[in-house]
Amino acid sequence: MTRRIKNIIMYGFLIIVSFFSVFPLYWMVSAATNKSVDVINGKLIPGAYLLENIKCLWGNQDVTAAFMNSVKYSALLTLVSLLICSLAGYGFEIYHDKGKDLVMSIILMAMMVPFVATLIPLFQMVSKWGLLNSTLGFVLPSISTPFLIMMFRQSARSFPHDIIEAARIDGLSETRIFFQMFFPTMRSTYAAAMTITFMNAWNSYLWPKVIMTTAESITMPMVVSNLVQGYVTDYGMLMCAVLICTLPTAIVFFVLQKSFAEGITGAVK
Amino acid sequence: MSKKKGMSLQKKHSMTGWIFLTPAVILIAVMSFYPMIRAFILSFQTGIGANTKFDGLANYKAMLTDQVFLKSIGNTFLYLLIQVPVMLVMALILASILNNKDLKFKGLFRTMIFLPCATSLVAYALIFRCLFANDGLVNHLFVSLGILDSPYSFLTNAFSAKVIIILALLWRWTGYNMVFYLSGLQNIEYSIYEAARIDGASPIQTFFKITIPLLKPTILLTAIMSTNGTLQLFDESVNLTGGGPANSTITMSHYIYNVSFKYMPKFGFAAAMSFFILILVAILALVQLKVGDKRD
Amino acid sequence: MKKKIIALLLSCAMMATLVGCGAKEEAAATTESAPAAEAEAAAEEAAPAAAAEGENTLTVWCWDPAFNLNAMYEAEKVYQKDHPDFKLNVVEVPWQDIQTKITTAATSGDYSTLPDIFLMQDNAFQKNVLAFPDLCVDLAASGIDFSQFAAGKTAYSVIDGKNFGVPFDNGAVIGCYRTDVLAEAGFTVDDFTDITWDEYLEKGKVVLEKTGKPLISMQAGECDLIMMMLQSAGASLFNEDGTANIANNDVLKEVVNVYGELRTAGVLTEVNSWDEYVGSITSGNVAGTINGCWIMASIQTAADQSGNWAITNMPKLVAANGTNYSNNGGSSWAVASNCKNTELAFDFLASTFAGSNELYDNILPSGAIATWAPAAGSDAYGLANDFFGGDAVSAKIVEYSTHVPTNITGAYYYEARDAVAVASTNAINGADLQSELDNAQAQVEGYIGQ
Repeated sequence: MTRRIKNIIMYGFLIIVSFFSVFPLYWMVSAATNKSVDVINGKLIPGAYLLENIKCLWGNQDVTAAFMNSVKYSALLTLVSLLICSLAGYGFEIYHDKGKDLVMSIILMAMMVPFVATLIPLFQMVSKWGLLNSTLGFVLPSISTPFLIMMFRQSARSFPHDIIEAARIDGLSETRIFFQMFFPTMRSTYAAAMTITFMNAWNSYLWPKVIMTTAESITMPMVVSNLVQGYVTDYGMLMCAVLICTLPTAIVFFVLQKSFAEGITGAVK
Repeated sequence: MSKKKGMSLQKKHSMTGWIFLTPAVILIAVMSFYPMIRAFILSFQTGIGANTKFDGLANYKAMLTDQVFLKSIGNTFLYLLIQVPVMLVMALILASILNNKDLKFKGLFRTMIFLPCATSLVAYALIFRCLFANDGLVNHLFVSLGILDSPYSFLTNAFSAKVIIILALLWRWTGYNMVFYLSGLQNIEYSIYEAARIDGASPIQTFFKITIPLLKPTILLTAIMSTNGTLQLFDESVNLTGGGPANSTITMSHYIYNVSFKYMPKFGFAAAMSFFILILVAILALVQLKVGDKRD
Repeated sequence: MKKKIIALLLSCAMMATLVGCGAKEEAAATTESAPAAEAEAAAEEAAPAAAAEGENTLTVWCWDPAFNLNAMYEAEKVYQKDHPDFKLNVVEVPWQDIQTKITTAATSGDYSTLPDIFLMQDNAFQKNVLAFPDLCVDLAASGIDFSQFAAGKTAYSVIDGKNFGVPFDNGAVIGCYRTDVLAEAGFTVDDFTDITWDEYLEKGKVVLEKTGKPLISMQAGECDLIMMMLQSAGASLFNEDGTANIANNDVLKEVVNVYGELRTAGVLTEVNSWDEYVGSITSGNVAGTINGCWIMASIQTAADQSGNWAITNMPKLVAANGTNYSNNGGSSWAVASNCKNTELAFDFLASTFAGSNELYDNILPSGAIATWAPAAGSDAYGLANDFFGGDAVSAKIVEYSTHVPTNITGAYYYEARDAVAVASTNAINGADLQSELDNAQAQVEGYIGQ
């Protein structure tokens, strides 16, 4: 009986939270199928205007190029960033000593300066190196982030030291311990980090808009912002673009979520 | 080579550690600290655009008498004090519910609760503005339920505009933080919970006695992240309320952006304000680290 | 075991991308001038073509594909008739991003990243030219006759007597009214032509009473209407010498009072955002609006209201001895100092935006109305617009724009505008107007003094 009540409360709570979370999304999807006038007048029911909006959008913006660019930048940034930051986080925690703890606290400072303040010096550097309009220019400033390092450092704390010791006795090198032991064991952390990093890379806007100056290097968030600049905003088309811009992150999350939320007990043993 | 041979095992491991973290540290030094130092030097210069000269603490003095900046500090701290604790507690509760093995439709719930932070900013700002418009859904609902007599102008009232910013932040970031807790919970052996249940511990006791202590490293991470994120809050202020009405929702970063790019560009002044934020975040992070970063 | 293999594969992939990345870095570092590893490869293939193209190609930055980009493409076509080799490379960049890029480039002292020609918001000209004296080229040598443009428009881009912008789209203020709603209250659009704000208020009360609709909606916290009213009397927030003129500005006080009265009476309703503002018009919740003429494009999205709209001029201020004409928004073309071929840029602008009836006729369907006086003489401008009751609106608007008083924009325009928005919002909500204006004055003086 009490179990039943508990379940009702639990599911009820989850359903309410999920409803509030998803409602704006539903609104977005339905808006993408409506005419601009209907969107702005608050129509909530899906319409039959989706194809028209898609056609308009592709006529108005080079969505295909922007999408491919965004995929390229984000995938590259995510992979490199995960490798470098997890290595560092592991290094900071597993081999921690006073010196490394100090370096870690100093590194934390790096995420505390508003990006606007470092924008100009960063632009000067990247432009001097001839990296404007390049993938490398896009990726370089955000490969190594204090946040990811700290995330891996925090989760390395729960990585059992016995495993490392056992592996060392087996004669595994430190690098191999990292790749063969830590990496698979921390699958949940990697999955979460991957989702977050991909999302940040996908949505990043201020930096690309400063260093990307050609029509070919456009990204998805830039497409969306292009659509709200005119004297007239076509809200149906805008929502269509926004929907396309949202989908990849949602898909990445959906694919990876099992890894960070559904047991990894098998991997440790 | 001969030197390396003489190294003790511990020293060797320490060296390996340094090698592991070198790429990341070099990148941060070049891409973050160098520009930061440049910005710090800039904060002692006054002038417009590229024409600047050293002027001691003039920018810092001007900052403390600037009414808009002072107002933005107040607003930002209000968001910090209310939104961050509420969000983290909600995220923790949601994560521990979703970590329940017997729960059905887990994947669906997880995805739905995460989705808000994947939503593009443009869309969600537009949606929130529409929802809270004078003839928007919320007003329709409140009027028909008899809570309000006539439509209420949510975004043009200083108090309700702040509330809406906080709601928007909660909506967008709770699921995001939940993800960290979920992945953190995975590192806790399920057998610990089993044992607690056998010992007759209630779910609430388990939550406080097992979940929270074991999640401490993750909680610390999210607390520092959220504090930092809120003190640098920009998007919501710009897109949802435009900082209004009468600067009652403007944040520090929004104002710094205005000074840099909307107004007559004064990067020295902007840099000074940025370093003020840096010091604030650094102090808060240090306190959090002192409290939460003990290895036991 | 399977998991281990997957893990290994993943880490291999990571290493591979990292190595690839490093190699690219090297390539970029060795060839110093290469703009990018990728662009490099592309450039190699197209190198000879690019070199030949360079002399006859201009790069342009502007925003709004249906409007500004379209105008540039049409201009390209017009110019190509006499210069078949000519090519434009038009890049869509939102205004805020152009501003960010200008500021970053100029502050870094590296103008090479900027295009040849870019579009600039009229209100930002003074600020950018004064902050970055090397940003734009003085257009004196272009041979453009600036007297052919509406004076109220050209003044935005004149700094120290020099022209820095070729005026483009018209921002003349129009009063738009729903004739069917007005008829319900017993009015015609003539009752709102050449009137004062007092008359507007009185008639607005009648409309509100009989139809339940306010005459106008405005975005709260923004002071668009206040700025339009100021300019209609030739006033601004600055003095000739660039000092702030807020605390003792009688015109401003009259304007804020008029705005407050309109709002108190309910003739003006405040909305939360721009979207809601447009929505209030298209959904028929208000009986009209007052804004720059570009608002017509948004109004016309409400296709079901076709024929029920009419446009006329705006009301005037009495005490300030104002006019019925003003300006809101609009932008002008600037030539960047980075431009390698200024002669070509000058000639292109002079023979299109400052010299081609054909161009202005071609872009009229997109809603771009000229400020170049000769354009209004063409037949296209005299055509009836059925949405607006068969009126020849384009010719009318060009005529309005010739009456717009010039005023001082000021380099600190955005600072002053924001400060006044705060002051007027507080004053309308009950605070003391004079002390609010004093605060605004002090705030703006603080910015100027730094």
